[in-house]
Amino acid sequence: MMEKSWEPKILAFLCNWCSYAGADLAGTSRIQYPSNIRVIRVPCSGRINPLFILKALQSGVDGVLVSGCHPGDCHYLSGNYIGRRKSATLKCFLEFLGIEGGRVQFSWVSAAEGVKFSRVVQEVTEEVKKLGPLKKFKKSSWFGVQSSEKENE
Amino acid sequence: MKFKLEKRDFKPFLQSLIDGYDLYAPVHLAEGVPVYRKMGRPDEVDLSLLNPQKSLKEVFFPQDEVMFRYEKVDQETQMVSTEEVKRERVVLGARPCDIEAISIIEEVFSGREYTDIYFLNKRKATMIIGMACHQPLPTCFCSSTGGGPFVRKGSDLFLIDLGEAYLVEILTEKGEAFKKNKFFKKTSAKNLQLAKELEEKASKKTDSTIPVKGIDQKLDQWVESPFWDRVHEKCISCRVCTYLCPTCHCFDIMDEALNEKGQRVRNWDSCLSEFYTLETSGHNPRATCRERTRQRLMHKFNYFPKVFDRIACVGCGRCILYCPVNFDIREVIKEINAK
Amino acid sequence: MIQQKLREIAKELLMKKEVDLIIGFGEGTLPLRATPIFVRDPEEAERIIWNSFCENNLATYLHKFDRFKVGLIVKGCDARSVVALNLEKRFKNNPPFLIGVPCQRMVDRRKVKKAVKGEILKVLEEDDRIIVEGEGFQVILKRDDFLYPSCQVCTHRTPVQANVLVDQPVEELPLVESHPDMDQFESKSLEERWKFFENEASRCIRCYACREACPMCYCRECFVDSSRPKWIEKGLSPSDLTFYHMVRAYHQSGRCSGCGSCERACPMEIRLNYLTQKLNRDAKELFGFEVGINPDGPPPLSTFETEDKQDFIK
Repeated sequence: MMEKSWEPKILAFLCNWCSYAGADLAGTSRIQYPSNIRVIRVPCSGRINPLFILKALQSGVDGVLVSGCHPGDCHYLSGNYIGRRKSATLKCFLEFLGIEGGRVQFSWVSAAEGVKFSRVVQEVTEEVKKLGPLKKFKKSSWFGVQSSEKENE
Repeated sequence: MKFKLEKRDFKPFLQSLIDGYDLYAPVHLAEGVPVYRKMGRPDEVDLSLLNPQKSLKEVFFPQDEVMFRYEKVDQETQMVSTEEVKRERVVLGARPCDIEAISIIEEVFSGREYTDIYFLNKRKATMIIGMACHQPLPTCFCSSTGGGPFVRKGSDLFLIDLGEAYLVEILTEKGEAFKKNKFFKKTSAKNLQLAKELEEKASKKTDSTIPVKGIDQKLDQWVESPFWDRVHEKCISCRVCTYLCPTCHCFDIMDEALNEKGQRVRNWDSCLSEFYTLETSGHNPRATCRERTRQRLMHKFNYFPKVFDRIACVGCGRCILYCPVNFDIREVIKEINAK
Repeated sequence: MIQQKLREIAKELLMKKEVDLIIGFGEGTLPLRATPIFVRDPEEAERIIWNSFCENNLATYLHKFDRFKVGLIVKGCDARSVVALNLEKRFKNNPPFLIGVPCQRMVDRRKVKKAVKGEILKVLEEDDRIIVEGEGFQVILKRDDFLYPSCQVCTHRTPVQANVLVDQPVEELPLVESHPDMDQFESKSLEERWKFFENEASRCIRCYACREACPMCYCRECFVDSSRPKWIEKGLSPSDLTFYHMVRAYHQSGRCSGCGSCERACPMEIRLNYLTQKLNRDAKELFGFEVGINPDGPPPLSTFETEDKQDFIK
């Protein structure tokens, strides 16, 4: 029996106006990209609360991608700039703590960049695949992902 | 019945306990931080450590405890109970203050109308090997609250460290199971004399001057006293005192679930937390630190004695040692007494 | 002497009714401790003390006493916390009156306890020495060897902002580009760093002493109390413990003054200061912002530069 090799699960937060549209364009243009990503649409990359990223990692995804509009193109003018600062802080911090930087990735993808989107997803998937499944920080429990029973004895 | 347990037999004795029971004893978590844990190996145990920050109560009343699990299969909900204690347990190295505190919690949990099956099952299945406290700290005031460093109450077996050996006292029917234990040897008059001397020495060290006698009656008139307006000032409403206190027993019940499976969990909670009494309407009867500090002190020294005829404090001193702002319950008691 | 000066200033402020109360330090009930006191009468000003055990950040009480005009005794780190709070518009009507003390650095009481054998009964300070007396022993320690880690690397011991300074500004450590301890930690492998962090967090008992001791943690509803969405459970799942500490530290980014109160408050002796030290360093390197030094702000995560670093973005 052929063993199915492990595929990473990646959560992608895409901003509604640019990146999500870009992903949509990739779809309509029939450009292939790995099916490892699960997309969550948000109004703006600046809306991303770092807790989303951490909760995602805790819940069992192996990598997170946050994608927004290019600087200067944000639908809300400055959301992506604020998001950029938050992302930089979080990424440095997570790497410092010991969570591989490759698991939390960021990109600018515009609504016209279907090809870029597919490339970004390809790259992120490959990088996360190389890092392997996320074992640390994941919340284990008897029923899957939510909570844990802690037998502290 | 008194026996001698040589120090060289101690580890084999522990191993025999580990083989026959779930053994809980203090271990090193980090320097200066001992905790009670289930033992895997005798050399993990360290009885020379100071009284663990997290008291004995977590062995009977864990900080997070699953109450039941459920799973929906087809139209049925299958429940899995977690009440059963699968193996007999032994606690080793518990100090008299912590043991007394367990009996205080037991008053509440084996209540008149409701019993807490989780606590009681654990309590029933546990044999307590108490340990005499040789080095009471300046903050220990167990002798003021009716206890003492060598008080045997609540212990099934009681150990006194004599240096080369332990003196073992068998005190209850449960403890008599160890009457014929192969590691227990005969004592000598010298052993007994030394034990007596150590007891006298230690008993002098604890603070017997804290005036808790009659404090419950004094506090009857104090609910609206302006005393409470100043007492709370330095308190920052964290939870250190309540979580480390061996008698505090408040908890919060939550459900954790995902799709068809779930569990009900209870976690320690603290009356000092701002949201402890927050009601769904938005009203909070204890909205400020003043009410919460008053509540905690009144509960320990007035409300609890009214119902159970004893104060809910064993004088272990943890709240004094670990409070981030040096809130000292002894000062409060003295002030109440002085007025 | 600083202590005398503090008492005089406190007395004067109370007599002139320029403040409703003075928040400072008084004699603790344990050796190696001082305790926060709240002085309202001029006569009570005699209770104020100053020594190397005044380790709490009193700015955390400003939230509790926000209805009063407060005279606050601050060390260098505490003053920076007040500046940070001011930046976040916490003092609408009642800015505190800051009585600044150039800090001699605080003594790590746990380190002292671990350095002696036996129960400590009394501790005295004499110049650069700490005299520890216990049952049947007396040990003399060199004060400089027993400072808190956060105090060892402090570069702002003189309050950056104060209405009155009780002593001459002290000579600061040179503003080094790197901290040797931090560098050593960062040179460890990813796995080692995670193991260290996870191990520290595993002792956590969710008492929130760190949160309450911190002057910057003043949210009415902390993320741990949130039930919709419920970020983490209230129990001791190892994953939740790391989550809590990660996020609490992250929320201090650009706000933390490095006072170390969190670490000092923790009953389980968890190392916490190094987390915020890293975030502070990043805020400085990435955004050029340092708490208290840029009093007009704006807070780094609430603003942006068009040329912010983005080499990590695909």
